[in-house]
Amino acid sequence: MWGAVARRGGGWRGLAAGRPPPAAWSQVVSEAEKIVGYPTSFMSLRCLLSDELSNIAMQVRKLVGTRHPLLDTARGFVYDSRNNLQMRGLVVLLISKAAGPSTADLSFQHNMVSGIYSSQRSLAEITELIHTAFLVHRGIVNIGELKSCDGPLKDMQFGNKMAVLSGDFLLANACTSLAQLQNTKVVELISSAIGDLVQGIYYENSRLSEENCLTDDIGISTWKEQVFLSHSALLAKSCQAAMELAKHSAEMQDMAFQYGKHMSMSHKLHSDLQPFVKESSNDTVVFSLNSAPAVLHQEFLGREAWIKQIKEEKGELKYLGKKCLRDAIGAGRAVPAALELCRHHGARALAALERFPPSEARAALANIVGAASGRS
Amino acid sequence: MCEYYFDGKGKAFRPMIVVLMARACNIHHNNSREMQASQRSVAIIAEMIHTASLVHDDVIDDANSRRGKMTVNQIWGERKAVLAGDFILSAASVALARIGNTTIISVLTQVIEDLVRGEFLQLGSKENENERFAHYLEKTFKKTASLIANSCKAVSILGCPDPKVHEIAYQYGKNVGIAFQLIDDVLDFTSCADHLGKPTAADLKLGLATGPVLFACRQFPEMNAMIMRRFSKPGDVERARKYVLQSDGVQQTTYLAQRYCHEATREISKLRPSPERDALIQLTDMVLLRDK
Repeated sequence: MWGAVARRGGGWRGLAAGRPPPAAWSQVVSEAEKIVGYPTSFMSLRCLLSDELSNIAMQVRKLVGTRHPLLDTARGFVYDSRNNLQMRGLVVLLISKAAGPSTADLSFQHNMVSGIYSSQRSLAEITELIHTAFLVHRGIVNIGELKSCDGPLKDMQFGNKMAVLSGDFLLANACTSLAQLQNTKVVELISSAIGDLVQGIYYENSRLSEENCLTDDIGISTWKEQVFLSHSALLAKSCQAAMELAKHSAEMQDMAFQYGKHMSMSHKLHSDLQPFVKESSNDTVVFSLNSAPAVLHQEFLGREAWIKQIKEEKGELKYLGKKCLRDAIGAGRAVPAALELCRHHGARALAALERFPPSEARAALANIVGAASGRS
Repeated sequence: MCEYYFDGKGKAFRPMIVVLMARACNIHHNNSREMQASQRSVAIIAEMIHTASLVHDDVIDDANSRRGKMTVNQIWGERKAVLAGDFILSAASVALARIGNTTIISVLTQVIEDLVRGEFLQLGSKENENERFAHYLEKTFKKTASLIANSCKAVSILGCPDPKVHEIAYQYGKNVGIAFQLIDDVLDFTSCADHLGKPTAADLKLGLATGPVLFACRQFPEMNAMIMRRFSKPGDVERARKYVLQSDGVQQTTYLAQRYCHEATREISKLRPSPERDALIQLTDMVLLRDK
């Protein structure tokens, strides 16, 4: 599953799968998990044990042997549970703890476990549910574009059916828990984050389908807007909502939002940079023409020159991802610029944390920025 | 893409009921016909949730046409269609939050949960005949009636503080909703494709045994095997269709729908008389007599 996600240019799992040094990353996470009270891979349990999902699991077996993406996603749940780091949930819990008890309302402090309100724990779960629902919905295939090697048409239709249903099931569960929080502002925030995520994936898809032809002429600022929607909005808004649940001030809410936003932006830039910074003799380095370095390179070079370069390098774009094109991008100013941007977002995330009182939880959040943006 | 189905060509059956119910409750409570902005929002949200579920249903069923035009998935592909459905749902959810009432949020969120659970119920089937019918009615409630029942309840909560009225609104919506779907299932056998805006015998082709089939099965037990294999053998769909038309399955289902409509009328008659209340009573007849 996470391989599939990383290929599509997303996912924390890319991180867990190898870079930065996995030991460092899992250390950051396991220390952080101790702070919030218990491991964060709690989310799916209730859902996974439900009749509906076990039904799906039975049905998904029929897909074995086809190329339906749902298979990868499901496999990830079953076999990868140890690496199934639910980063978004963890960050929501940490920032809740870092902010501490509400100063405005002392009456509901008894509701706290390990310094986190039960409503904030629900929110962390909701965030993961939404994220997972869209991992599933991302894996829908267009029936009209199938090739014969993908497997029988009937199976692919069936895979789509299961993917829509299970994604909807997770989303419906998220909506129900959200309603139970009894806070209209939080419902609005998280609902709008779902809308952002959909828009972000929509852009991502429309670029994805053009993966093998010329990409849109988007500048880095458009890129940032789109990546915010697809990779940052959910976490940023969940962090903000966690503050709202504890009745923290508008300023605290904004800081939490900024942390979530910049931390995930910095992480995305970091993972986009990997194919360019790692010394590798491998000829089949895969990178996306929509990754930050490629987009910056195009911006520096100018659209015309970029297209010319692609054509000269490879003649045909389907060979993209080969070493020469990567080296061409690597030789220009794009990589240092992307690195700079990554550091910039990392620094903004750390700056947002300064408004929180010093604590273990705050330190863990800072470490996550370090690990996510490749600082050591 | 998201606006595709909001073209004013749908029946707008759900928002109509919700608006009438809102006014009927308002008059019942304080003789004011004026609808509140929040109640209007509920009507809009109801139609949005309905549309989002249509878009996803069409991907699930791999449907080609709806309301006389091509489905979203046919035009834009399944990937985008699923996202469009999600987007409409998120917009509905934002609008719901902006009403600013946590009770209303809970009531309408129940609908979203029911829709998904109803879709899951549709996947399975029961061996036992009695269980099968109960299963069918439960699925019908979750997939169709819950939306109408809970949006009626929501506008009644906004319009009137009396819990008895909320229950009346809910029961009316529930009964009308089930009757509506029963007739829908009948039309799948009796109407022609051009008129309906979608293909006929669609349920059979999807392997689904609806009311008329379940009634027909009592007269023609040989249909049992076909139901269990979900009409998957060649010729099953045609044969099942013939059995249904030979049996009194259509009449029985229509009769059942009438009983639900009577129940709806009985409930709504408890409200103070008003043109809107009477329109809701007449609406039950329209549900029974509609041909599309």
